[in-house]
Amino acid sequence: MIGPDALLLARERFGLETPEHGPTIPRERLGEFARALFEAGYVYLVYVSAMHHPADKQGETERPARYTVVYRVRDLARGLEFPFRCEVPLGTSVPSLAAVWAGADWQERETFDLVGPVFEGHPDLRRIMLPEDWEGHPLHRDYAINTPHRPWR
Amino acid sequence: MNALALTPPIAPRANPYLDIESYEGQGDLMVLNMGPQHPSTHGVLRLKLWLDGEVVVKAVPYLGYLHRGVEKLLEKLTYVQSTPIVDKNDYVSSMTNELALVMAFEKLEGCEIPRRARYIRTICAEMQRVASHLLWLGTFALDMGGALGGGTTAFMYCLRERERILDLFEELSGARFHYHMMQVGGVRHDLPAGWDAHLKRVAADISARIPEYEHMLSENVIFRARTRGVGRIDKLLAQELGLSGPNIRACGIDHDLRRSQPYAAYDEIEVRPALATEGDVYARYQVRLAEMRESLRIALALIDGVPAGPIMGRKPIETVNAVKPPAGEAYVAIDSPRGELGAWVVSDGSTKPYRCKLRPPSYHALSALPYLLPGVTIPDVVVILGSLDPIMGEADR
Amino acid sequence: MKHEAYDHPAFQVVERMPGLDMALLKADDLLHWGAENSLWIFPMGTSCCAIEFMAAAASRLDMDRFGSIVRGSPRQCDVMVIAGTITVKMAPRVLKLWEQMPEPKWAIAMGSCAISGDFYRDIYSVVPGVDTFMPVDVYVPGCPPSPDALIDGIRRLQEKIRAARGGKPFEREVRPETGMILPEIRRLGDSDRDPAITEAQCQAVLNMDKGGAERPPR
Repeated sequence: MIGPDALLLARERFGLETPEHGPTIPRERLGEFARALFEAGYVYLVYVSAMHHPADKQGETERPARYTVVYRVRDLARGLEFPFRCEVPLGTSVPSLAAVWAGADWQERETFDLVGPVFEGHPDLRRIMLPEDWEGHPLHRDYAINTPHRPWR
Repeated sequence: MNALALTPPIAPRANPYLDIESYEGQGDLMVLNMGPQHPSTHGVLRLKLWLDGEVVVKAVPYLGYLHRGVEKLLEKLTYVQSTPIVDKNDYVSSMTNELALVMAFEKLEGCEIPRRARYIRTICAEMQRVASHLLWLGTFALDMGGALGGGTTAFMYCLRERERILDLFEELSGARFHYHMMQVGGVRHDLPAGWDAHLKRVAADISARIPEYEHMLSENVIFRARTRGVGRIDKLLAQELGLSGPNIRACGIDHDLRRSQPYAAYDEIEVRPALATEGDVYARYQVRLAEMRESLRIALALIDGVPAGPIMGRKPIETVNAVKPPAGEAYVAIDSPRGELGAWVVSDGSTKPYRCKLRPPSYHALSALPYLLPGVTIPDVVVILGSLDPIMGEADR
Repeated sequence: MKHEAYDHPAFQVVERMPGLDMALLKADDLLHWGAENSLWIFPMGTSCCAIEFMAAAASRLDMDRFGSIVRGSPRQCDVMVIAGTITVKMAPRVLKLWEQMPEPKWAIAMGSCAISGDFYRDIYSVVPGVDTFMPVDVYVPGCPPSPDALIDGIRRLQEKIRAARGGKPFEREVRPETGMILPEIRRLGDSDRDPAITEAQCQAVLNMDKGGAERPPR
């Protein structure tokens, strides 16, 4: 069940639209929003992930390549859930929420490793799944799945 | 006076980014690498431990030794082709992997699952939970006892029971592992004749043997000394990290997706909570044993009342492009033996998913290691790692 | 009189005296019998096949009755069973552990991920078959192979050992591939394998020893 107090927070205090899959928070206010949610009781972090959209045209406007970083948190005591997201163009960093939820630490590392958004303020943003000297982010839509990696494949 | 009774210490949260250079130890700190290949059969996890004598000061886990790029592969394959791929994530409980992904696809498509299929899914998921916990118990005891020591006894017993359940699944789906049983809209195979009698025999035998395991382990002085008071997880930390399943239920937090967000046939049956309060390794062990009993009870309660009817709620899937959900997003989470296994799927209206993120409970369990390991000795490291029940296939994907 | 317990071809002459059983055999045969029936196994189990390996070693199909035992250290083992997918991050570790095993040593590639990478073979981080960097003696196909198949694989290895030690010729086991697209890195032993690749693989293992590509954690 989507938390009504979180929806109220997003609409009134932050003035955001709340579509079905959660509000899109501008990156400048992401830390503030996260802390407000945590204080409201949403202490359970379900996941942090992202997806990559390549540059495309929507109607007449050209949209640059961008990441959509998605978050989902829960309040176990009241059985409420709240998803939210943040969109940034490639090259812009997203503020890290590792100081708010301890679990965001590893989640952001994995998201950076596989998808690509850089999390600013993260205590130790290293690659976690792939070897540390890997170049590129595999879950980019234009990354070839069978990229060779000499001398092993 | 029971010297093993411990009061929970009020300790500050361990710092996973402890500055080693400025740490004042009793001598030099030793770096021990519990490398990716290790006899503790939890898969390929590498732990770099800084030790002050025998006590761990800082622990850094390294993952990725089994990163098979499943999320990228799921973008390349169609919805129909994805079931056997995710089977191999949490390879010990394949039914639940498939269930989570397939339910996310069904939510995108909006199709109804017939009641018979929901019952079959629930019975399979619960027997899968028993099989997974049996394997966990066997390897947990094996880690503690050693391959040539007493641990092998529990291992042999538990795997013997697990083979009975795998026989049951082989009769149903044709495979011991990697069943490929769930498909969008229902299940692939119907219950064969005599399967319910077979299930009742297996469940009765296992229920009769669980007290043996308890007697062997719970009342063993060494087991209690090694597990009580060890690896205690603080409630707030457990929630911030996103721990789920037995790991969080052992802390006293009643978070069970079978009850809070019922799926399959869980809305028609009562699931009794298996909770403990201590949050230590012994509590997690007790929770898993209780869950085994509960799962057997649920399976026996459901098997007699499986309704007649179709097992597929949409037209039969005959080609790889048969499933084409409308554009949208869906997140569905189920309660797998390890915790909350979720699938977040984004569809762009074509026959292949746009983005498929699998939320593995083992990844979150492993992220607790830098907080749990500082302050314990090396034997406790093995015990704590075993009690979190990580499966690297799912943590690394 | 020949006692039926001595039906093994190693034993040639058997005598029974009160309180004593005697067999006469060549020292070579005794050593061959010992070598093939006491294979100590080093499990390089990464994923699902490791669970089937454990099932083969457990109650129903006890692998210990073939004289094998699972040991944790490569220095003490004869056979490495590679059970599971080998990724690019894991491959130098597998090669290093293979090099650490003392001769005579054999390798069993268990499961299709170890044989060819299975359906992961085109993925950026998966090694398409373990025989691209180390020699494999027996291939056990399956996903996962059932524990019976692994026991059969050990039996084939025993036959191979018997043949090799006896100086008899034996067929090199061929990687099962029907209509498959071969990976770009050829198998060890293939005629069109680039020797520079072998050199690069050994160098990667040495680099790993020197700290490799890992930045130290904070």
